[in-house]
Amino acid sequence: MNIDYVATALALLTVFGISALMALSLNLEYGVAGVPNFGQAMFVSIGAYTAGVTYTRLLPWLGGRAGLDPCGDTLTKALALRTELTTLFPTVGFLNFGLTVLIALLLGGLAGYLASYAALRVWEEWYLGLILLVGSEVVRILAQGYPPLLCGSNGLSGIGQPFVWVHNATWSAALFALLALLLAGAAYLLCERLVRSPYGRLLKAIRENDRVTLGLGKPVQRRRAQVMAIGSAIAALSGVLFAVNLGFVSTNDYTVALTLDVWVMVVLGGVGNGRGALLGALIVTVLNRLTAIAAIALNAMGSQFEFNYVRYILFAAILLLMLRYRRQGLLPERARTTIAHDELRP
Amino acid sequence: MTDLLALHDVRKSFERLRAVNEVSLGVAAGQIVGLIGPNGSGKSTLFNVIAGGARADAGRIVFDGHDITAQPADEICRLGLARSYQDPALFFRMTVLDNMLLPAKGQRGEQPARAPWHGLWRRQEQALAAQANAQLNQVELRGHYARLASDLSGGQMKLLELGRSLMGQPKMLLLDEPTAGVAPKLARLIFEQIAGLRAAQGLTFLIIEHRLEVLFDFVDDIYVMSAGAVIAHGPPAAIAANAHVREIYFGD
Amino acid sequence: MPASVVFDSLVRSIQVGSLYALMALGLTLTLAVVRLPNFAHAELITVGGYVALLSSLWLTHSLFVILGLAFIGSALVAWLMHRAVYRPLARRNLSTYGMLLASFSVGLILRYIIFLLVDRYGLFDKHIAVPVEIWYRTPDVILTNLFFWSVPTAVALMIVLSLVLRGTSLGRQMRALADNGILARVTGIPVDQVHDLTWLVVGGLAGVGGALWGMYTSLNPLTGWLTILSVFAASVLGGMTSFTGTILGAYVVSFSENLLMQWLNFRFGLDFTFKAAVPFVIIILVLLLRPAGLTGFAGSLRKLSRR
Repeated sequence: MNIDYVATALALLTVFGISALMALSLNLEYGVAGVPNFGQAMFVSIGAYTAGVTYTRLLPWLGGRAGLDPCGDTLTKALALRTELTTLFPTVGFLNFGLTVLIALLLGGLAGYLASYAALRVWEEWYLGLILLVGSEVVRILAQGYPPLLCGSNGLSGIGQPFVWVHNATWSAALFALLALLLAGAAYLLCERLVRSPYGRLLKAIRENDRVTLGLGKPVQRRRAQVMAIGSAIAALSGVLFAVNLGFVSTNDYTVALTLDVWVMVVLGGVGNGRGALLGALIVTVLNRLTAIAAIALNAMGSQFEFNYVRYILFAAILLLMLRYRRQGLLPERARTTIAHDELRP
Repeated sequence: MTDLLALHDVRKSFERLRAVNEVSLGVAAGQIVGLIGPNGSGKSTLFNVIAGGARADAGRIVFDGHDITAQPADEICRLGLARSYQDPALFFRMTVLDNMLLPAKGQRGEQPARAPWHGLWRRQEQALAAQANAQLNQVELRGHYARLASDLSGGQMKLLELGRSLMGQPKMLLLDEPTAGVAPKLARLIFEQIAGLRAAQGLTFLIIEHRLEVLFDFVDDIYVMSAGAVIAHGPPAAIAANAHVREIYFGD
Repeated sequence: MPASVVFDSLVRSIQVGSLYALMALGLTLTLAVVRLPNFAHAELITVGGYVALLSSLWLTHSLFVILGLAFIGSALVAWLMHRAVYRPLARRNLSTYGMLLASFSVGLILRYIIFLLVDRYGLFDKHIAVPVEIWYRTPDVILTNLFFWSVPTAVALMIVLSLVLRGTSLGRQMRALADNGILARVTGIPVDQVHDLTWLVVGGLAGVGGALWGMYTSLNPLTGWLTILSVFAASVLGGMTSFTGTILGAYVVSFSENLLMQWLNFRFGLDFTFKAAVPFVIIILVLLLRPAGLTGFAGSLRKLSRR
């Protein structure tokens, strides 16, 4: 079997960076603040759909060309235009990418902020999880059913990553991998600094008992809405990277399966621990790649076995084992928050 | 002298049960007032209504000149009225120190825009840590500052809750059974702390208690509740001599 | 709208609604008595469908036996899920989110095991082989024997369940647990036993629902998953605790998906792809606006005393 090791490694690093962003987002929202975001797919998809819209409508405008209807009759022409602009005009591509990221962060943040208000209306705790899960599917179905957005269930292709103009394919991939890793690193730093602050302390209190926290005079809903905004903005960012890495935007990629993957990352790696989220993202990324390779290898050997099914069973089993034997995850949460603890050291 | 906390004909019902029935009471600034009565007489519900955890169906509640009848719990706390709970409502997954620091008001580091830049709130946090240090010393929990709240003994938890409720610099405290499940000597110690706080800082207290022998030694005034209504009110000596009170408590 | 379309939708709404009711009652029982949001309920439906399929292929054509086997098959799987996964986790005080995740995982494992088996033995998209006869025909509507089998069976089971809940000691114990779990334990109700039996009943109902479903449309491993949202919506409409509310809810959901969608399509040109959104929209609207469901607290298996 011929494996291009460099390409595989770069692809792995890229996917790891993107997954890390998703895991950090959920870790902040659920691990630290206690909001069960079972609708993670929705926030990721906001970033992806934003990319879909900007690459089909903003990009041509930035490149000084007339916009074409990306669906319908001018589909191929529009696709050719996108590809041409991203591969031949780096500055236009970067500008578009930058704007996409900014818009995605804003929209994702806004969506998260609004979604947090569902927490006020729930009767039992887990209803919130159900609402977010269900809401995520509604958004997906609506996006699919509204043709002008993403051409229905066909999806949009030609969403190139910002370094696609680099002639050397390896360098192109390497630069994008670096970008993904840098963004993941920045998100990690931000989350760590937030958690080790009085804000982090307050979120943990809200997580444990929001009623008592309210009784201590804290504006619980406002702080919860804020953390959802931050978390969802990060998720939307991962969505942008996910879409441009794939080169393709389709509603089929943002289903409950995605939400589940991210939950496995967080539960496996460590709930409430930033490094745990990174570890979980790494393990899931590697496992995914290994099962994909195994599936290809098995098929090459003539087996009809659908390894994808086994992947689901494997992940679900891991999740169950963690819940049963080590629910805090591989890297448990640190109890102490701020530097105040250092002040009191004898 | 107007009362710091005044209730006028407060009513609260659940479906068909009248849990709080036309209750009126007043606590003057600097007083330690007791609220007693058999189980199920509505005392905790009353606390819940006062503190904003539940909305009164009728009546008025005034605290420090503000009408707090319909105010949310966080606003009431910010006005200076703090409460404790029957079962220690500590954050068990957090350290003792974090539990102490949380209620402090006006923390700049709690705003997500400021939180990531540690320099912006470090000074304030250090000051608060010093304050918490002093408070923990007072309740003899300083050595346990890094332990999880869940690791403490029952008595220590009660002390922590008392110390914590002071960090928010309240004007008045509603204490719900501050000595529940605690050894008699510690119970007395807790009340001595309360009396000391009143003397030193002029704090006001309204306390639900079942340990009548300790309570009677420390309070200025007592309200007795039964089946949702206030049935007696007066200084400890008068209440102790009240036959009706003895009847509802001991079924004489 | 042309009369034949109306009648066709009506028939479908009633048929589907009856099946949803059957499946949703199981879910409501789980939620009220065991206090577990069981996302693997979907797989109990699928299992029932496949047990029925295999029975019809290898054993018998008797509808009665097929349904009976489906009942038993799913009941056993449900009981195993409880003993192997849910009970051990609950004993360790796992949070409700943890249980939700656990039920998701169990569901996935079951679903993909079924996928593997179906793939291996080539059983995709099969109808359960029961001879279809037309029993009633007018120019506007055709009713087959399946209709006359599924609806009465579903209704009969609902009546039986209702009698069990009201009349038997098991039913009383289930209701006591739904009402106040802590008090029930203290008053000596054999909680473990009641839970075991509840899961058997829940599984059985879901299994029969799945079997009837497999006669009505073709069966595949995702069958349960595709219906679970509608089933959840029915349960949510019943406030997750009410028997009658769930049944009403089931018909509301099926009528919304069929008759209402037909009308929206006819009148406003709304595309049928949005049919998938119906249960989701219902769930969100109910949870946000009226979490107590259609019937409020009346007819609840449990009286909610919060807030």
